[in-house]
Amino acid sequence: MTGKQMVLSAALLAGLMAVPLVITQAYLLHLLILILFYTALTAAWNILTFGGKVSFGHAAFFGLGAYTSTILLLKADVNPWIGLIAAIGVALVGAATMTLPLLRLRGPMFTMATIAYAEVLRRVAILWRELTAGSEGLTIPFRPGLLYLSFTGKVAYYYIFLAIAATAVCLSSWLFHSATGFHLRAAASDEEAAQALGIDTNRVQVVALMWSAGITGALGVFYTQYVYMIDPDLVFSVTLFAIQPALNGIIGGLGTVWGPVLGAVVMTPLGEFLRSYLGGVRQGLNFFIYGVTLIVVVIVLPGGIISALHAIRRRVRGATASVPAKEGA
Amino acid sequence: MSLLRVGDLGKDFGGLAAVSGVSFEIGQGEILGLIGPNGAGKTTVFNLISGLLPPTRGSVIFGGADITRLPTFRRSRLGIGRTFQIVRPFEGMTVLENVMAPILARERHPGLARTEALRVLERVGLADEADADPQSMTLARRKRLEVARALATRPRLLLLDEVLAGLNPVEVQDALPLIRSIREGGVTIFIIEHIMAALMSLSDRVLVMDQGVLIATGTPAEVTANPRVLEAYLGEEATGA
Amino acid sequence: MNDLFIQVVVSGLLIGGVYALLSIGLTMIFGVVRIINFAHGEIMMLAMYLTYWLHAAYGVDPYLSLFAVAPVLFLLGIVIQRLVIQPILDAPALMKVFATVGLYIALQNLALMLFKADFRTIQTPYASASLMFGGISVSLPRLYAFLFAIALIVGLWAFLKFTLVGTALRALAENRTVAQLMGIRVARLYRIAFGVGAAITGIAGTLLLPFSYVFPTIGSIYTLVAFVIVVLGGMGNMLGAFFGGLFIGLVESFSGTYVSPAIKEATYFAIFILVLVVRPQGLFGMGKGSEEVGLK
Repeated sequence: MTGKQMVLSAALLAGLMAVPLVITQAYLLHLLILILFYTALTAAWNILTFGGKVSFGHAAFFGLGAYTSTILLLKADVNPWIGLIAAIGVALVGAATMTLPLLRLRGPMFTMATIAYAEVLRRVAILWRELTAGSEGLTIPFRPGLLYLSFTGKVAYYYIFLAIAATAVCLSSWLFHSATGFHLRAAASDEEAAQALGIDTNRVQVVALMWSAGITGALGVFYTQYVYMIDPDLVFSVTLFAIQPALNGIIGGLGTVWGPVLGAVVMTPLGEFLRSYLGGVRQGLNFFIYGVTLIVVVIVLPGGIISALHAIRRRVRGATASVPAKEGA
Repeated sequence: MSLLRVGDLGKDFGGLAAVSGVSFEIGQGEILGLIGPNGAGKTTVFNLISGLLPPTRGSVIFGGADITRLPTFRRSRLGIGRTFQIVRPFEGMTVLENVMAPILARERHPGLARTEALRVLERVGLADEADADPQSMTLARRKRLEVARALATRPRLLLLDEVLAGLNPVEVQDALPLIRSIREGGVTIFIIEHIMAALMSLSDRVLVMDQGVLIATGTPAEVTANPRVLEAYLGEEATGA
Repeated sequence: MNDLFIQVVVSGLLIGGVYALLSIGLTMIFGVVRIINFAHGEIMMLAMYLTYWLHAAYGVDPYLSLFAVAPVLFLLGIVIQRLVIQPILDAPALMKVFATVGLYIALQNLALMLFKADFRTIQTPYASASLMFGGISVSLPRLYAFLFAIALIVGLWAFLKFTLVGTALRALAENRTVAQLMGIRVARLYRIAFGVGAAITGIAGTLLLPFSYVFPTIGSIYTLVAFVIVVLGGMGNMLGAFFGGLFIGLVESFSGTYVSPAIKEATYFAIFILVLVVRPQGLFGMGKGSEEVGLK
């Protein structure tokens, strides 16, 4: 990151930290928390797109993380911080089982396989009642304080999710600019050529999957601590925790660092607005608009908002030879 | 000592033997040319050496080590570099980033990789276009990028697959000194070309393939006088520059 | 016990015929247009709703409504092809995925908007009728569905083999470039392929409704089933899709009867993942276009 970018980011972070001093309404704070949550989730999901892979199965990691920490809390009285480590571990194991399909399948088939993963886990969670209480779900107790990660009021949660979002975006950026990031982009563009240049494309894809899955699993833990109640249809929901970040990602701009942030920031309040106003008008209208939007974006602006911004910037600066960070295709 | 030794190499696709019974050696520091009519199996041989295709039969020994079963990226790290007939620059990455990618496989620090990449670009004459989008460059410049990327892997053996194809005569003449300078830098070169005059002027020795088998080896003079070689090309238009 | 076994086999085959029809629709679209349609099940769902509506509003027998459903779905397929698929044909595979996912979300919620979330089915006078063969009871609607499906599959095969359009479609599936060079109008054929694929899929839905439910989210389940079958049978391979359909029907029947109805879906997802990992070319080997989709 350039010096200028660092200053801007620091300023942004400082500004965000000051927000709860100004905004105190619970609903607005909740909305902000949701935006931060989805920013982190989308950034994590997006890591896999560096290598050109689209997964709709991230709900698998999310649910695995959520259930791991919750079960440990309820059955063994393990606090969520330790549960977090276990959750990340379980999510990584889940990711490890996805490695073979990841490496062997391309494009749509890989995506289909990931959906199948999430769906299998969802059904397992429903059926394995002794462990997960099935469809009834699990509720975590309210034990206020940092140790058990539950709080009255929204402010503490706001700061926690702000920290998580900042961490996720930083990790994503670090990965993007690292050797692994270069290799992922090369592999996404042309796997054979990359291999002929000495790049171990399989290894970097697995690394990307691990980071993506680990962060997503961690988010499952924090989400549970915020909503207190989880059930298989919620935390293994492909729509909420797999397609939504994908939607955010593509609207913001796939395979870039700030694309997912933009996407989450734009889509989350939009989604909430659509849900509360239009969902009331007609059930399904909000998601119908989502679907149509997605189609339109793919046809008209496949690079997402970021590519539109880059195009505007190029137009303003006059045509130079520099290329913006395009998404891996 | 031979740098590369290929023994009885064969590759079948279904019932078709694309390459069969091919054996040859490449000596350290030489420029070996490979010619043959279309469909002779030349690129297949390159793919077998660089690892993109597993052989049905035979062996590939590089620097004394048997690499026949090694995956592509490992062969690259051992020192086999390769360019492709149809250039394949990485999309969404600048010229500089394209060259940094292979360097980052051995030099993890992006800053150092960047410096080294710039050096490579200077070597091939692309330093001014470091921030350019490969898609916006002419074919000749993109071919240089292709070579630069391969050079960035610090190869001991460089496989050039029709690197002059599609260039006009001026561009071809401009490219020859670069190829020679690469050899002078200590890199052994194995080159496939259809532009006969260029290939003959570059190569120390030439291999000729036809329909998957080696039909002749020798110096450029020997090979051009070989009646079997001329026969293989009958009906084929060999372009001279 | 033996009777139960035969019963399970028969039930499995009967439903398998409909599944085969469903996945042949997907295979056809994929084979010609080379696109993986994530909204495939939604097409079936829409046909089911259409059938339901014709029955509920006008009392049309579902097997009669086939004559309405088929052309309507054919037109729908053409519309989808022109509006959604044609613009993105040359886009990278990832973008195609997103486009059809967007279609899936849009269609699913369109159904939600129009019909609400309730489970709906239709009651025909013969819905619970069944024939007895020996000790085996065969439900009439399922039998009809199977017979119609088989008839349609045979008809489709004949269409592809003997008509001009069918041959052009096969040529296009074989090699797009050569087909274009031979003067085949690709865009028009894509529309026809999509239309036919959609019509077949829709008919599968209509055949299913008399003994099944429709609700807005049923599409995604059937999309997954169709995918499992198509991968199992080998991408782009129609015969494979046929046998794959029968196979999955049997798997569903067996796991539903001998283990538990709840794990039906988990079973075929697990099979899906297993096949993708162990034998991505399917049981019958790949048809055309498998490389593009990543099945090597």
